[in-house]
Amino acid sequence: MPEKMNCKEAVDQLQDYLKRELTPGLAAEVRQHLDHCRHCFDHARFEESFLRMLEEHARKETCPGALRQRILDLLRNEAGPG
Amino acid sequence: MAEPSAAGHSFDDEALPHLDALYRVALRLTGDAARAEDLVQDTMLKAYRSWRQYRPGTNAKGWLLTILRNTFINDYRRRKLEPVAMDLEAVEPHAIYRDIETADPEGAFFSQIVDEKVLQAVDALPTEFREVLVLSDMEGLHYAEIAETLQVPVGTVKSRLFRARRLLQAALYQHAVEMGYIKPRKA
Repeated sequence: MPEKMNCKEAVDQLQDYLKRELTPGLAAEVRQHLDHCRHCFDHARFEESFLRMLEEHARKETCPGALRQRILDLLRNEAGPG
Repeated sequence: MAEPSAAGHSFDDEALPHLDALYRVALRLTGDAARAEDLVQDTMLKAYRSWRQYRPGTNAKGWLLTILRNTFINDYRRRKLEPVAMDLEAVEPHAIYRDIETADPEGAFFSQIVDEKVLQAVDALPTEFREVLVLSDMEGLHYAEIAETLQVPVGTVKSRLFRARRLLQAALYQHAVEMGYIKPRKA
């Protein structure tokens, strides 16, 4: 049996766990810790709120239409006639 | 219009769908709409001219972001002469969770903060932290893709992200306290 993950180790991995960036083995260890540790479980929800907030704020800006058109015109000039 | 690459993938089909993402990343890197527009335009022109180097079927978004980021470092950042104020790997930001766990254990305050304030706080991060956070948590790139884009090891991406998120959390917490969204823990 491997040593069980302690709270500090679990907390250090929480963000990568939520981003699904851990190896399956490490993710399973974090999951197991969260199943048994209310404190770290709450902390995970806190980190999840933070990451979700960033995602929600993330994609509201779009490339201005005038810039898009300018780029298309530039590319046409690059391609040259014909 | 644009010439197809060797395998017949056209630049327009592969590159143009990523204009929004390029523009957002450019905004976060330059902190200025006019410079962001110039950066995106330069990036697209460079990408077009080196389109033959793009390997079809690989990650076009990552390829474009690499060009954008290199262009920013080489041509844009220099003008601003940003001082390298700190040893980034030595930054150990305060973890705010302990301050907040009784008042708001689930971080509900995050959802009360308006867009503008979130973006301002992101823009205030040091460049090395800001770019990993934007690519990962705002544009949804995987750590391995970010490592490739920035030409650094995945471990560096992880450690920068860890610090970037803590710095951002601390800044947003401070803002939330000032706005009265949350009561600070008694000292």
